[in-house]
Amino acid sequence: MKMLRSLVWYATSLVVCVVFLFPIYWIFAVSLKKPEEIFRSPPAWFPSEPQFNNFRVLFTEGDVWSIFNSLVISGSATVIAMLLGTLCAYGMVRFRIGGEHLSTFIIAQRLLPPIAIVFPLFLVYSQLGLADTYHGLILLYTAFALPFVIWMARGFLLEVPPELEEAALIDGCTRFGALWRVAVPMARNGLFATAVFAFIYSWNEFLFALIMTRNNVMTYTVQISNYFGPQSTFWAKIAAMSVLGTVPVLILVSVMQRYLVRGISLGAVKG
Amino acid sequence: MIKRTKGILAPLALASGIVLSLGLPVQAQTEDAATKAIEAAKQFSGTTITVVAEAGLQALLDKQITAAEWEAQTGIKVNVVELPFEEIYPKQLLEHQAGTGAYDTLLISPAYLADMVANGMVEDLGPYVEKYGVAAEDADINPAFADWQFYDGTRYGLVVDGDVLVTYYRKDLFADPANQEAFRAKYGYDLAPPADYGQFGDIACFLTEKYAPDLYGAGVINTGYMFFMFGERFRVAGGRFFDAETMKATVNSDIGVQVLTQMIEQNKCMAPGIETWGFAENLSALNAGQIGMTISWPPLGRWAQGVNINDAALSWVPATTVADKIGYAVNPGGHPELAAGFLSGVSVNSKNKDAAYLYAQWMHSKTQSLQNVMRPVGLRDPYRMSHYTSPEYQELWASAPEYLAVLQEGAANGLADFSWIETFRYQDAMSRAVLDAISGADPKESLDGLVAEWDGMTEEIGVDRQRAAYQAWAAKPSAYRE
Amino acid sequence: MTTAQSSVFGRPFGAGRSVRPGFWYVAPAVFILILIGLLPIFWSIWVSLLNLTGSNRDGTFIGLRNYARIFSDEKLGWSLVRTLMIMAVALPIQLVLGMLLALHFQAEKPLKKLFVTLLVLPAVISPMVAGSMWRLMFDHKFGPVNQIISFFTEKPVVLLWTIRGDLPFWSIIITEVWQWTPFMFIILMAAISNVDRDQMNAAAIDGARPHQIFRHVVLPAIWPVLIIALLIRGLDLFRIFDSVWQLTRGGPGNRTETISVFMYIRGFQGFDTSYIAAVVVVLAVVLSAIVMLAVRRVGLDR
Repeated sequence: MKMLRSLVWYATSLVVCVVFLFPIYWIFAVSLKKPEEIFRSPPAWFPSEPQFNNFRVLFTEGDVWSIFNSLVISGSATVIAMLLGTLCAYGMVRFRIGGEHLSTFIIAQRLLPPIAIVFPLFLVYSQLGLADTYHGLILLYTAFALPFVIWMARGFLLEVPPELEEAALIDGCTRFGALWRVAVPMARNGLFATAVFAFIYSWNEFLFALIMTRNNVMTYTVQISNYFGPQSTFWAKIAAMSVLGTVPVLILVSVMQRYLVRGISLGAVKG
Repeated sequence: MIKRTKGILAPLALASGIVLSLGLPVQAQTEDAATKAIEAAKQFSGTTITVVAEAGLQALLDKQITAAEWEAQTGIKVNVVELPFEEIYPKQLLEHQAGTGAYDTLLISPAYLADMVANGMVEDLGPYVEKYGVAAEDADINPAFADWQFYDGTRYGLVVDGDVLVTYYRKDLFADPANQEAFRAKYGYDLAPPADYGQFGDIACFLTEKYAPDLYGAGVINTGYMFFMFGERFRVAGGRFFDAETMKATVNSDIGVQVLTQMIEQNKCMAPGIETWGFAENLSALNAGQIGMTISWPPLGRWAQGVNINDAALSWVPATTVADKIGYAVNPGGHPELAAGFLSGVSVNSKNKDAAYLYAQWMHSKTQSLQNVMRPVGLRDPYRMSHYTSPEYQELWASAPEYLAVLQEGAANGLADFSWIETFRYQDAMSRAVLDAISGADPKESLDGLVAEWDGMTEEIGVDRQRAAYQAWAAKPSAYRE
Repeated sequence: MTTAQSSVFGRPFGAGRSVRPGFWYVAPAVFILILIGLLPIFWSIWVSLLNLTGSNRDGTFIGLRNYARIFSDEKLGWSLVRTLMIMAVALPIQLVLGMLLALHFQAEKPLKKLFVTLLVLPAVISPMVAGSMWRLMFDHKFGPVNQIISFFTEKPVVLLWTIRGDLPFWSIIITEVWQWTPFMFIILMAAISNVDRDQMNAAAIDGARPHQIFRHVVLPAIWPVLIIALLIRGLDLFRIFDSVWQLTRGGPGNRTETISVFMYIRGFQGFDTSYIAAVVVVLAVVLSAIVMLAVRRVGLDR
C-alpha cells in the first residue's frame, strides 16, 4: 500500500514537473534547431540535428555583449542594494528609525506600475547624461531592489538575538562592528537568498532597460525584443538569447537551492 | 632631354592645378555623389556619428558592411543604433524631446515626416544638398519616392529604401492549362494575376478548392501594420479617410465596411490560422510551396528565388522550393501601397550635422545605393531608375527584369502612406480596429469604433490644424490617385 | 534600544547634534528611494497640471482639466476592468494550484529537493522571456500547444490564442499562472512546513479529517504568510506589462489592454504626457490608500 502511494506521489510529481518545464524545454529545443526546422509546420518535437549555430551567431554578431551588460548592471545593483539595504534594515530594527512611516514608504515603492515613473525618470536622466550609461541603470536597479532587500533583511535581522550583539558591544565593538561581525554572519543564509533574488529581479527587468538604453548598455531582454520585427521574427536568435539569459539564473538557483526555501520562508513568515 | 620635358611638364601641371582649383567643371558630367560625399567627409575624420537603423536585417547592412566601408574611406566611425520598427518614431521623438543629441543620422519613415517637422526634429537638408550634393542624381529617383523627401517644399530626407507592395503568384499553377480551363469555366474570365481584389478572392478560393491542404490559394499579412493593407484596399475601392470639410473620419463608410468584410471573407479561403500570419509566415509558406499567391514587400521576391540566400544573416530564411516558379504582378487595382519606406535625415540636435548628412548622401547616392539594394541583408529596395535598369541587377536571376519592372510600375502608380499630425496614433488605432474585425468582431462596429477614436484624436489635436495637414497630404497625387 | 545604549554609542556627531543614532544607517537607502521613487511623483503632479500632448509641447497651465478627463475616459476604465479581471482570475488559480503543490510536497521523499528545485524555474525566468516563449508556443503554425491539444481531441484544432474570442485573455492567464504558481508554491510550502506538527497530530487524534485539519489548524497558522503572498502577487498582477506586451501587444483591438499597456501606448506612442501624469497621480493615491488599509488591517507594520 505504501509502495503504491509512493508511486502515485512520484508519478504526480513527474507529471507536474513535465507540465511546468515543457515551455523551458521548448525554448532550449528551438535554440538548438536549424532555422528552417523552426519554421516547419507542424513543429518538430526534437531538434533533428542539434547544433549550436544559433549561439555562434550571437557571438559573431556581437549580440552577446548584452549579456555582459546585464551582468555588470545587475551584479553592481545587487551588491550596492545589499549593502545599503542591510544597513537600512539594521537601522530600522535596532534604532527604530522611521517606524511605521518608513515601512509604509518602502512598501509603497512596489505599488506603482513601472510605466508610471519611466517617463519623468527618462527626462531627468537625459538631462543629466545618465541615459544609456552603466551607472545610470545601476542606480535605477539599486532603487528597485532596495525595498525588497530592506524588507527581507529586516526579517532576518530580527531573528538575530539581540543578546549576542549586546555581548559584542560590551566587548568593545562599535554598533557597526556588531552588525558586521555578529548579525550579518548569523543572518547569512537569508541574506544570501535575498541577494540572489534581488539579482534575478534586476537581471530579468525589461521595461526600464527598454526606455533607458540605446545601444551602449543594452541588456539581454531588450536585445531579445529587437529580434521581433515586421519583416523577420528571428525565433532562432530569440530562443538562443533567451537560453543565454536563462542559464545563469538556472545555475544560481540550483547552486543555492538549499537556501532557497529557507530564505523565502523566513522572510515571508517574519516579514 | 629630361630637362626639356620637365620644363614642359611643370607649367602644364601648374596650369591644370590652377584650372582645377578654380573649380572649373572639368568633369561635371561624371561627378559622383558617392565619391563627393566621401571626399567631403574626410575633413571630419576621427569623429563618430550615431546612425539609427531598423532592428534586424535592415541594420545588418550598416553594422556589417557600410559602417566599416565608410570608416575605411573617411575615418568617421559609425555607431549603429537598432530600433524595432514600431519604436523608430517614438524613440527618436523621445530623444529629441529630451534634447540629448544622441542620434545624428535619423531614420524617417515618410508617413511620420509631417510630425517630425512639426516637432522640429529634422534638419532642412537644402543647404547641405547644395553644398555637397550632385543635382544630376536627383533626376534618377523614381518620382513617387522623390516626393517622400519633401514636406511643404523643403527637403528633409534622402530616400534609402523604396518600399512598394507586390503581388507574388505561382506562375506555374497559373499557366497550367487544366487550371486555366476550369477557372474560366467557373468564373468566366481568364486565370491571370488578379486585376482587382474581387478576383484575388476568386483565385484564392479556386486554388484552395483544388489543392488544399497541400496548397492554399493565397496568404496575406494579417498581423500588425494593417493600416497598410486596409489603407490600400480602402483607397483602391474609392474610399476617403476624412470628409475634407468637417474633418470627420469616413473610414466606416459603406466602402470601408465592404472592404473590411471582403478581407474577412477572403481569409476563409486561406490556410487555417491565416488570421495570425505575418511576414515570416507568408514567406515560409511561399518558399515551401504552400500558398499560391501573396502580397508582401519586395525582399520576398529575392528570397523566394534564393538569391544570395547563403549569406549567414539569412540562415533563418527557409530554403526555397519555388525558385523560378514565382511571377510578379502589380497589386490588384493597380495602386499598391508604398508601405513604409525609409529616408535618412539629420537631427537638429546633432553635434556633427555635416558628417551625419554625408553618410546619408553616400548611402543615397547612385553607385552606393545600387550596391545596397542588391544585397540580401539590409532589405533596401530599389528606388532609382538606374536600379530598375541596371544590367547587374537584371542578371541576378532569370525573371529579375520582370520583378524590377513590377517594382517600377507599382511605385509609379503607388499610394503613399497617409501622413498628417500624430500619424502614429491614427495608424495604431486603424491596425487595432482592423485586427479586431479579422479576429471575429463585427466589421461595422469595429470601423464605427475606429471613427470614434479618430474623431477624438482630431479634436484633441485641433480640427483646423489637422485639416490643414490632411489637405496638404491629400493634395499629393500619390494620396488617392484618382 | 535603550537610551543607555544610545548615549554610550550613539551620537555620531558628538554632543549637541540632533541626528538620531542610526540615522546614517538608514539615510543612503532612503535617499536613493526618495530620488528614484518620489521625485517622479512630484514631477507627475506638476506636469499633470499642464497641457503637454503629442503635438503640443509648450506646456500651458490648464489646472485640473486632465483629472476631469480621467473620469470620462472609457478606455481607461476598461483597461482597469481588464486588469482587475486578470487579477481576479489568475490570483485564485495560482493560490489553489500553489496550495495543492505545497501540500503535495510536504511529504519527505528522497527526490523531493530535485522536484522542488525544478519547479522553481518558471518563476526565475524573465517575464519578458516567458511572454516570448509562450507566444511561440501558442503560434498555430510553429507552436506545439495546438498540436498537443489536437492529440487529445483526435482531430486538428485551430485555436488562435493571440487573437480569437476570449483566447487572448486566457493565453495571458495561462502564461501568468505557469510562471507564478511556483512562487506561491514555495512560499506556502515553507509556511505549511512551519506549522506545529503536534497541533496537527492532536487534532487527528481527536478525530478530525484531513480537510478539517487543514481548515482549522493549518490555514489559520499560515494566514499571515498567505496574505502577504496574495498582496505581493496581486500588486504584481496589477502592474503586468512584459508578458502581455509580448503576447498580444494589448490586442486584438484593445481587448487585452491592461492599465500598464494603456499607459505605455498613450504615453510612449501617443506622447500624451500630461494626461498620463494625471493618471499616475490618481493611481498612486488610490493604490497607496488601498495598501495602507490592507497593511493596517493585517497588522503588518508592527
